[in-house]
Amino acid sequence: MMYNGKELIRELALAFGPSGCEDEVRELIKSQIEGACDELYCDRAGNLIAVVHGQGIDYDLAVNSPDRRPDRVMICAHMDEVGFMITDVTDAGYLKFGTVGGIDPRVLCGRPVCVGDENSRVSGVITSKAIHLQSKEERGKSTPISKMYIDIGAKDGEDAKKYADIGFFGTFVSDFVSFGKDGKYMKGKALDDRCGCALMIELMRAIKDKPFDRSFDLYFAFTRCEEIGISGATVAANSIQPSTAIILESTAVADIAGVDKSRRVAELGEGGAISLADRSTIYDMAIVDFALGVAEKYGIKCQVKKYVSGGNDAGNVQRCAAGVTPLALSMPTRYLHSASNVASYDDYIAMRELVEAMLRDWRFYK
Amino acid sequence: MELKELMTALPALMSVSGYEKASDRELYELVGEHFDECFTDALNNHFFVKRSGKENAPKILIDSHYDEIGMIVTRISDDGFVSVAPIGGVDTRILQSGEVIIYGKEKVYGVIGSTPPHLAQPGDADKLKSMEELYIDTGIPGEELREIVRLGSPVGFKPVYTELLNDRICGKSFDDKACAASVLHAVMNTPREELVGDVYVMLSSQEEVGLRGARVGGFGIYPDYALVLDVTFAYTPDTEIRKDVCLESGVCITLSPITDRRLTRMAIDMCREREIKYTLEAAPKGTGTNANVMGITREGIPTALASIPIKSMHSPSELLSMEDARSLADFTVGFITSTEIAEVFGK
Repeated sequence: MMYNGKELIRELALAFGPSGCEDEVRELIKSQIEGACDELYCDRAGNLIAVVHGQGIDYDLAVNSPDRRPDRVMICAHMDEVGFMITDVTDAGYLKFGTVGGIDPRVLCGRPVCVGDENSRVSGVITSKAIHLQSKEERGKSTPISKMYIDIGAKDGEDAKKYADIGFFGTFVSDFVSFGKDGKYMKGKALDDRCGCALMIELMRAIKDKPFDRSFDLYFAFTRCEEIGISGATVAANSIQPSTAIILESTAVADIAGVDKSRRVAELGEGGAISLADRSTIYDMAIVDFALGVAEKYGIKCQVKKYVSGGNDAGNVQRCAAGVTPLALSMPTRYLHSASNVASYDDYIAMRELVEAMLRDWRFYK
Repeated sequence: MELKELMTALPALMSVSGYEKASDRELYELVGEHFDECFTDALNNHFFVKRSGKENAPKILIDSHYDEIGMIVTRISDDGFVSVAPIGGVDTRILQSGEVIIYGKEKVYGVIGSTPPHLAQPGDADKLKSMEELYIDTGIPGEELREIVRLGSPVGFKPVYTELLNDRICGKSFDDKACAASVLHAVMNTPREELVGDVYVMLSSQEEVGLRGARVGGFGIYPDYALVLDVTFAYTPDTEIRKDVCLESGVCITLSPITDRRLTRMAIDMCREREIKYTLEAAPKGTGTNANVMGITREGIPTALASIPIKSMHSPSELLSMEDARSLADFTVGFITSTEIAEVFGK
């Protein structure tokens, strides 16, 4: 089944893919890009790489010249999502867990989850003491993760171990909802960064459907383990050795009630957010200006991140091989790393248009 | 209708305390045909009556509260964020990133927002946000939202339902709709000839805000004897609940100063005779349930209290065992068909 647009984002978001167990996401992506690329392979670190060759006179010249390989541009998004790993199974049949990636303990209590591996899953829920039974000291405080557990309905430890054991993975279970004015907002788990994955899939299909001349090979890297900071993108960039990389990500926005305008990072509905600097990278202004220029030229909504914070794969990619120029373009997303990411479908469209327009106009950059 | 079907249908109906009237039609449509009479009183208690057809039959009231905890809209900002206040004992730990439905002129979906990590101060993760600091993100501009939602619109948790292992299930407002489902199912499926009296099922209102509905509902019906059904805490390792009150321990019968001792003993005997799984629970300070008000209604109503154990009470993921729900239904059937009890407590 081939999915498009919002459906594609939904299917990707629903897939099970905590860092370290991205198999289901990778298989889904493979099924969606069949026939849309010239080469497709999985590297030894588990990243899925799809290659779309260039075309046109300049590309042929580069291919045929004895001392020059065509330029390589990498576009990447991470397949993994934040989740859980089972650290212990108690005698009473409860699963103790740690988080895979950063999750605020305050968004965990009461959330449905599923636990398993690439083969089998079981439903559960994150629970802790009922409000009536909390002591005065416990009330008004968040429950530490060490005091939470996942309840899968097991009768005892032995029963539980038939379904989940130490080292098994977990993710939130959260349906995909369209809501807000004209249903423009999307809510789901793992919109970070399945929106980026969806964008790459649709971009490859668009290039296949409406080819244009370009002097470079395009490497689409669907990467692993971004959320735990041990970046699969590093491996991809080291092997691909691109000159430039566009990192498609999600960014926190803080365009919400109770946050002063001066502390807002970006706004939903204003297009993709381009990073100028964050805790991992100081970005090259030439490519930032190119992106902003293309957005202006074609009237595509786009914004810059107004807060120096966070970090993403751009930092890892920048310091790969002999150096790579990264551009981070992020989907403004509320409530990141929770079961209820919220993002705007309009922003997704704007980002997709912007990246495609940049590739078409690449000659003005280089 | 299967019991499990009813168990999932009831939590999907809106019944935030004080707003139980909102779903009366849906409730009548769901189960009304199985009863002789359905009506709703001034405090939004819903009644379902099944008569025995016998002359001078005793009146038996079975109570399960129908209301659930929730929130109420207190402010709508220009950019479409909604502030709320709690109704009943809402556990603030389960709010952030939770999904809700605002019941305005139409249903409005929303997500309870959380602070983005870059604005967090060290130590913030230990602090829980109070309800006043949280807001619901609706994605609808304030001006438009005010046309649909008003100050005072009730807000409920979005119904979720998960099947776990061993016929255990997880969802919202099983407190007390698991009991409501069990009692409706029990009465619906008991042949009229077997009833020892006219049975009044009361799905009472405003229990979560102070046992308000049952007080007037009990007064209005004034039964010869009554059974209150509610949920109790199941043992979990982080609590001091007795280990034998746990999932699959069956019906939990409460012994307390306010419940009728003789009626309770007869109910226990009935469990033994009919081989219904049960445990006992002592509530020396009174019960914290509608039994407290039922016992002192008018000249007093002999009342027994039975519960089923659930985990994570007052969260959107309350967890129980279908086996216990079935035991409670069996218990209810026993109670309304017991000639021994009717002989002592009937007219």
